[in-house]
Amino acid sequence: MTRNVLIYIELNNKKPAKVSLEIISHALKNFADTNINGVIACDENTMSEAVNELKNIGLHKLYILKDNLFDIHNTCVYSRVLERFIKENKPDILLMGATCDGRDLAPRLASKLNIGLTADCTDLQIDENGHLLATRPTYGGKMMATIISKTLPNFATVRSGAFKLNIQKSSQEAEIIEITPDITGLCSLMEIVYSENKPPVEDWTCAEIIIAGGLGLKTKENFDLIYKLAEYLDAKPAASRAAVEQGWAPQSIQVGQTGSSVSPKLYIAFGISGAMQHMVGITNADKIIAINTDTSAPIMKSADIALAADAAAVLNSLLKTCTK
Amino acid sequence: MTFKVIVCIKQVPDTNDIRWTKNNTIQREGLDSIINPYDLSAVQLAKNIKFLNEDTEISVVTMGPMQAQDILKQAIAMGCDKAFLLSDKRFSGADTLATAYTLSQFVKSIIPDFNLIICGQQAVDGDTAQTPSSLAEKLGIEQLTNVIALKSFNKDNSVWIKNTCDYMQEVRLPHPALIAASANNTEILPDIKGYMKAQNTVINVLDADDINANEQCIGLKGSPTQVKNAYRPHIERNTELIENASLEDYTHFIINEINKCKANND
Repeated sequence: MTRNVLIYIELNNKKPAKVSLEIISHALKNFADTNINGVIACDENTMSEAVNELKNIGLHKLYILKDNLFDIHNTCVYSRVLERFIKENKPDILLMGATCDGRDLAPRLASKLNIGLTADCTDLQIDENGHLLATRPTYGGKMMATIISKTLPNFATVRSGAFKLNIQKSSQEAEIIEITPDITGLCSLMEIVYSENKPPVEDWTCAEIIIAGGLGLKTKENFDLIYKLAEYLDAKPAASRAAVEQGWAPQSIQVGQTGSSVSPKLYIAFGISGAMQHMVGITNADKIIAINTDTSAPIMKSADIALAADAAAVLNSLLKTCTK
Repeated sequence: MTFKVIVCIKQVPDTNDIRWTKNNTIQREGLDSIINPYDLSAVQLAKNIKFLNEDTEISVVTMGPMQAQDILKQAIAMGCDKAFLLSDKRFSGADTLATAYTLSQFVKSIIPDFNLIICGQQAVDGDTAQTPSSLAEKLGIEQLTNVIALKSFNKDNSVWIKNTCDYMQEVRLPHPALIAASANNTEILPDIKGYMKAQNTVINVLDADDINANEQCIGLKGSPTQVKNAYRPHIERNTELIENASLEDYTHFIINEINKCKANND
């Protein structure tokens, strides 16, 4: 029997969030015998732009919950509107991005529906019975757990960067279904006194080449060469947790369980030992090259190519050769 | 009227110190248990309220085995006033939904006239960040997550600073409400008075009947999610190790790989 998958697509500045598109990419590629449907909540102003972005990317149906109340995210309001929609629509599987707002909304919605929820997944599969197998890191990335849920819909949030973004134009347009939800009595007592959007951070996690540094670089001066080389190669710099804790790099470029997941074509790790919490962030890299003097470091056994060498010396030499 | 704050805390294994058994399961014996670091910032926010409004009573609650009394005593030493341990074999195996239900029954049965609930945003063992929102829903109150500070306070409402990856907000929230604190680097040093208070404070131990919990909604029975499989992650690649090459060779090898990668893109 064909299963209905419903993806709640978060909108940022009228555009679908990257993680929502990553979930759609993964679902279209990996979920056999399913209809992949999307739902958005938006106001009149946002609708046409969002629909344009979403109508021909392979979705079966696109539901639009439309009201001027939806110009700004509010968990109390959104969860009540989605609760009603889900009770009528009865999807088998419900997915949303584990963004800050998504992680706020999903558990409230699950609690309303009295259903199970698996947070921050890095892999999703559907078993032969049509149930969702949701895999997530736990114990700070030291263990992976595959979770199933007894309740419908099977509900999970997905970590940003866990899936490869691969949106392709489809010749088949999604059926667009506009819904004006009944919002009587829906209001929030919360009052936003002041709000400031942070400048959008350049999304470096989908860079083709990532140059990352760790504690094996020994000094901040050596770590600074990571930035130089990355700039020269038109690549993006990244850091291990240990390097961030040393104050060599900001948390925003940290890779791993408590940082970002990345999926470059080439990941070059200078002086990174490769603790599990780091490695879970680079499982989607096509090729990993590790440079480390310590051949017993975990990364030297889990990279594609392990170079037994002093990371700082190789980094210096690369920079000299490249800029010659 | 005394302002009543409930702080929910969790005992967690120190995830910086995880050891493995031969069977690739986590070795629980000898593992240090600590107060979940996020919960310390919840305790601190409650103390900030008490600082601004002396007539405040901070109740701290946790669900767990009898050993979890230790973290409750620590919380008392840090400045909480009353401690409750929800301990019952029937609670065990609870996922976040069953945990939220259990906590909501505690609140409804024991402190129904509460003004504010403060939780740590997430626990470092599971990192799900689900229990606070789920609990707020079960109590029918508003929630504010990603909270880093208290801006102002009066008995009817308080203003909090919310900090997410995308925005920073100041939000006024009428009481009762639930706050989830997102800082995980708070340190609270107990003083000698606190230690003495902890020694003299009786921990109230409650079971499922004490909080009028429906057996179908607690523990394993009340948990829709189940771990099907847990494993130590393997990042398997066929590693090619290159040793004893010259610096020049290493350098050219990497440049070659970068060029190959760039050529593939064109």
